Amino acid sequence: MEDDGAQTTRTGTATTRPPLEGLRVIDISNVFSLPYAGGLLADLGAEVIKIEGPGRLDSTRHNPTSGMHPDNEPGADPWNRASTFNLLNRGKKSVALDLRRPEGREVLRDLIKTGDILMENFTPRVMRGWGLDYPEVVKLRADIIMVSCSGFGREGPYSQYPAQATTQEATHGLTDATGYIGGEPSKAGQSFVDFLATWALVMGTLLAVRYRHRFGKGQWVDVGMYQLGCFMVSERILDWEANGRRVERLGNRHPWRAPQGCYRCAGDDQWCVISVRDDAEWAVLCRVMDRPDLAADARYTTTAGRRAAHDEIDTIIGAWAAVLPKHEVMARVQAAGVPAGAVFDARDLHADPHLRARGLLEMVQFPPERGIGRRPIIGRPWRLDKTPLSVRGPGPILGQHNREVLQDLLGYDAARCAALEQAGIMGTEPTKLRPLVPLSMDQRVRLGRLAGWDPDYKARLGIEE
Amino acid sequence: MMMPSALDDIRVLDLSQGIAGPLCAKLLGDFGADVIKSEPPGGDCARRMPPFFQDDPDPEKSLAFLLTNLNKRGITLNLGCAEGVALFRRFAGMVDVIVESFPPGHLASLGLDHASLEEANPGLVMTSITPFGQTGPHSGYQGAEIVAYATSGIMAISGTTDREPLQHGGFPALHEAGFNGMLATLVALLTRDLAGCGQHVDVSVQDVVTSSLVINQPAYSWCGGVQGRRRPDGSLFGQVMPCKDGYFICQEGGSATWADIAAFFGRPELNEPRFADPAQRVANGKALDAIILEATRDRTMAEMFRTASEEFRILFGIVQTPADLASCPQLEAREFYQEIAHPVIGRLRVPFRLWNMSASPARYQHPAPLLGQHNAEVYTGLLGCTAAELEGLRQRGVI
Repeated sequence: MEDDGAQTTRTGTATTRPPLEGLRVIDISNVFSLPYAGGLLADLGAEVIKIEGPGRLDSTRHNPTSGMHPDNEPGADPWNRASTFNLLNRGKKSVALDLRRPEGREVLRDLIKTGDILMENFTPRVMRGWGLDYPEVVKLRADIIMVSCSGFGREGPYSQYPAQATTQEATHGLTDATGYIGGEPSKAGQSFVDFLATWALVMGTLLAVRYRHRFGKGQWVDVGMYQLGCFMVSERILDWEANGRRVERLGNRHPWRAPQGCYRCAGDDQWCVISVRDDAEWAVLCRVMDRPDLAADARYTTTAGRRAAHDEIDTIIGAWAAVLPKHEVMARVQAAGVPAGAVFDARDLHADPHLRARGLLEMVQFPPERGIGRRPIIGRPWRLDKTPLSVRGPGPILGQHNREVLQDLLGYDAARCAALEQAGIMGTEPTKLRPLVPLSMDQRVRLGRLAGWDPDYKARLGIEE
Repeated sequence: MMMPSALDDIRVLDLSQGIAGPLCAKLLGDFGADVIKSEPPGGDCARRMPPFFQDDPDPEKSLAFLLTNLNKRGITLNLGCAEGVALFRRFAGMVDVIVESFPPGHLASLGLDHASLEEANPGLVMTSITPFGQTGPHSGYQGAEIVAYATSGIMAISGTTDREPLQHGGFPALHEAGFNGMLATLVALLTRDLAGCGQHVDVSVQDVVTSSLVINQPAYSWCGGVQGRRRPDGSLFGQVMPCKDGYFICQEGGSATWADIAAFFGRPELNEPRFADPAQRVANGKALDAIILEATRDRTMAEMFRTASEEFRILFGIVQTPADLASCPQLEAREFYQEIAHPVIGRLRVPFRLWNMSASPARYQHPAPLLGQHNAEVYTGLLGCTAAELEGLRQRGVI
């Protein structure tokens, strides 16, 4: 996977260094959105120092719903082995510091003085309570770029409301738009708005970096996840505002094209989607299905006709697809120039020749002492032909860089570091962990947390020791 | 004097159509870039996308087009004729960024790909946003919102096990691709600031949506686990539950305890171990649902959202409709909506501000352009055409 995952660099042209080299990011982030943004900044060349409390770990280090352990073995330090944590926090340094105590915040203040970018995603009152909101942070470093992420942003009546993506998707309008036809509103299959926030946070940071390059001034980037989610349903909002219309849930159908649907294919829980854009594509699909009679059927020759007969057309397409493997359906329909896509599960994502050729998944080698080996993780969904980028390493061990950062960067002496350690302000062991509920892979399948698992996944991925 | 913006030294030519590419170019415009949208004489296909203002399918009244083309000037340019291609080459020498969404290989067939244009303009950044990217065995495949959802892994985990996988409503994949197009363009511009060279940026919608699978993907590469859809017979708690006037979602987590949840619903029996203990809760899901549904039957979404969030600090969402979002006080406070004055539609409030920046915020400058609205201004002002030449271009169908 490493070999065919290489960046496509045009031969004969020079390449550049990643553009954020030389910038230092102080990353006090938790869960998905902001940690992932920090991970992408590390891919772009920044030095990212992640601060967690020994008693307040990033929740992805020990959240049973968002992290698996290698071969389902927690090991002696499960908090350093969790899958999602290591994906999101790739390439960072770790300092474990108790910010609830004044001595911990003193270290943070010193770090901020050396930093270019400060990222945090506390509920808005927390940094203010610590005297570390933007006006105060500027006093420590005048041109700092502060990047904040919260559920609803810094002002407004919901500003202090607790929020996470999986409840907010209802409030920001996605749930109302999602669901089977005639059924109830439905939740997304996983966190949704977190990733919009990740990309918004990186965009805001890069804009602020460029502004600082040009004008020498820092600023405060304030991302509220809610309005990003609302933007996804903008055309529904405008349809209401301009036309007083409330569009019903469409399941897998398209708002104006037909047919479009998700069709069962041969095998267990195997599916392929097909989306016909116009009358000509309908004729093409009929040919692919070897049904010239349908192409000639006047009831189906217009979009309006096909929308009216969508149920019966679904039955026809479903009968054709049901006996074919999903990859075959995708290949045949796409070969004729009509949009189609097999429904990929995680197994398929890792095996897909196209994703492999593009190198979206990057192999990360863990140091031998961590006992994790090498694992493919999601890289970045963009390729720059003169700026080769890559994941620069796994997520850090808790407190791995405590001494390095405090002594080498801040110039603290060994005695001062030892005092912080003895007082429990800085450490490498968590003081508070969620209880681990050990479940075998088969139990996870029985409980419905997994649809299945591949005991031979390492061979399939080519990552056997 | 106008405050400087992060991108006010950048000129963008937006050749893209649909949702993803235009959104990318619009975001560059929001942060100060001068964005010129170049459409074929027949217009961007998004001009034919519903919804339309007052349901009038006039190409100037598509609200879908309006949303992703604010802050642009608009010209027409026919790349199907030699004269149009020559004009495009002149533009390519004068702009910093080109955003495009043609099928991979199309611009190269016209001699207009990045490799052909960069000699004349070494600083040129070209951002291509396509369903499957520029390279790889499926790069020629056709895309659609649902195709991106299917091939990214997210659809396989949406919906219930007794039904087919389910896409999310609207066009989130294409919006996400627009975000990443903007992000990657900024990476290229920062690189250019430092190293001097432009480059080709390749964004694949499939890659973008797959990038959000941060639980699902490593669950496989860490231990071979394959996530699926939710079982329909499990507890609804944590999923969508009905109340008096709509639906809500309540979840355990954050700073709230299970006891807070029991107190919020006003049902002390929820503190019994069969519900309070997460290990026992699954087996008692039906009883849990019955208690909560009974407790919320006469409560409204608005009251529960306020009480749960303010008094109990519980993670709580309510299923808001477009009407709710149109009158939301939080969106008002965040200045999410921008009032625009469009030459055909008139005054309208549109979703605009995505995040705040204290020194260089997003700024509204123009409504979406009418087809060819700025032809005279751009062709004479930027390319130096005379009025007679402009008329000739028009007559020959070049613009």
